[in-house]
Amino acid sequence: MKRALTIALLATLLGILLFGLTDLFPPAEVRPWAEMARAYGAGNGVASIVLGSRLYDTLLEVLVFALAMVGVRYTLKPLGKWREPVVPERGVVREMADVLLPVIIVFAVYLAASGHLGPGGGFPAGAIAGSGLLLLAMAKGIERLSRELHEGTLEPLEYGTITVLLVLGCLSILLNHRGSGLLVAFNLLIGIEVTIGAWVVLHYFASHRGEI
Amino acid sequence: MAAQIGTVLGIGLVFLGFGALLLRRSLIWKLLGLNVASSGAIVFLVALSHRPGAVPPLSGYPEGTPSADPLPQALVLTAIVIHFATLALSLAYAISLTERFHTQETERIEAASEEEMER
Amino acid sequence: MTVLLLAVLAFALAAVALTRRRLLWGVAVLGVHSLVLAALYFALSAPDVALAEAAIGFGLVTFVYLLAIRRTGRIAVAAVECRPLLYPEGEEVVGLVWELLELLAARTHRELELRWVERGEVEGLLSSREADLAAGDLVPSARETAFPRVPLLPTRIVRVRRGNGPWGAISGSREAERLPRGGRLFPRRGELLEALERGELGGAVVNLLELRSFYLRGTFRDAEIEPLEDADFVVLFAPDEGELAEALREIMTELREKGEWEELLRRYL
Repeated sequence: MKRALTIALLATLLGILLFGLTDLFPPAEVRPWAEMARAYGAGNGVASIVLGSRLYDTLLEVLVFALAMVGVRYTLKPLGKWREPVVPERGVVREMADVLLPVIIVFAVYLAASGHLGPGGGFPAGAIAGSGLLLLAMAKGIERLSRELHEGTLEPLEYGTITVLLVLGCLSILLNHRGSGLLVAFNLLIGIEVTIGAWVVLHYFASHRGEI
Repeated sequence: MAAQIGTVLGIGLVFLGFGALLLRRSLIWKLLGLNVASSGAIVFLVALSHRPGAVPPLSGYPEGTPSADPLPQALVLTAIVIHFATLALSLAYAISLTERFHTQETERIEAASEEEMER
Repeated sequence: MTVLLLAVLAFALAAVALTRRRLLWGVAVLGVHSLVLAALYFALSAPDVALAEAAIGFGLVTFVYLLAIRRTGRIAVAAVECRPLLYPEGEEVVGLVWELLELLAARTHRELELRWVERGEVEGLLSSREADLAAGDLVPSARETAFPRVPLLPTRIVRVRRGNGPWGAISGSREAERLPRGGRLFPRRGELLEALERGELGGAVVNLLELRSFYLRGTFRDAEIEPLEDADFVVLFAPDEGELAEALREIMTELREKGEWEELLRRYL
């Protein structure tokens, strides 16, 4: 059964491969995005769509992201508590983190703040800051970091960010007002949101073993 | 030409991913297959946005140069982030399931959960 | 041209990643695959998407997978069959040691994967890390003292004589080390038993549980028993599985405190 399925899949794949190399469907005309981007105060075509004409989609996407984080919390909270992990003093990682972390954070903020002018934006910025948090967790020991970034601080921050984002977004859509300042605000808020999301994942996934 | 290669790759990855999803038995391998499949879909969309001799859709370029289509790229940006979020949630479920049933083979999990439901 | 090369590379990497045997290799190759995809997106004039894919697909996704894998790991057990400690019954595995192993798996949130082996293979499997721990009919030999261990049950090694002829023991075990010169080694208890019943041996060096199983089969009822040394049945761990050994020790302490250990002993012995 599995063999038949594999062969069928491979055959279909081959068929699509050959079909795709033909020229049956020529691509459509690129809509003139330059004027739209200028109207939104952005230089980045993609940003002008994501945060401009399709802001609605982005707001819902942020909501879905936050919902997924809530789901992760809810699923993994009842499992396992902290075991006292062995925290080796990883000297090399601490030295590296001392040097790299400022660069990482600055780069993430730069990406977020200049996302409306060039490639970047809130999403990669948040991911990069999340990786920076991971580096910090490896240098400092995740237990200590979790105590410092405990849920009492983070949860209101996360929900606050989402609320501000949604309110700003809805107002912007209703009043039909966009501007580059608003775009920067959106990018930064999204960056914070994604970073906190990455931290939630890190914390809850590592919470039982406590060591990476 | 480049766009066509991209579309072919995208579809190829989708099939590869779904093949892995069907043929592998452990939960995390299935998730990896799904990951590859969604990457394939993303490659497909990005390839659709490419035009011959295109530059990225940024404003630094001189007027009139053909640029890529920003619309599929915008769709894809959101898709990547959502993909990560759902992946995190699915892995959380996988962890929870593994701890409940002490196995990762999906057949055994299905059998065990049917037994539980009959009780 | 660049696009073609990158596309082929990406596809090849994906195919390689999904056909690995070990999960860690699959995730690692998939990480490289997402970097190649990011380069592909650059070549397809989509810098925003490339950045997002590199940051999220490579950074966050690989990391999340690694954490999840760490939390859903397996414990590979090298099992030496021994009624009533650890033995298969039809499709299932039963025994006193099996219950302990299940408690260990529950506590460390991992899944047990059992492999039936011969007594002599234990040292090799633990050194090469093919097994995380070994359990069953294990009284540790001199070569196995380096491995971390958790003692379960005290026992004794005895010499049992029944007639004239060479001695026998199970190879690789502590009992085999106490074998007098000219003794014969057997890989499995069943073969030792058969040799005894066929009269090829004059006696054997065994531990008390093996003796008990011989008694139950009717052998050695009329034999002379000479105790040699006291020892323990243990669970041996691979050299870097200290955490696992700690967890098992905690479990044993808790069982003893709650009195459940006695109940287990009564049930199985």
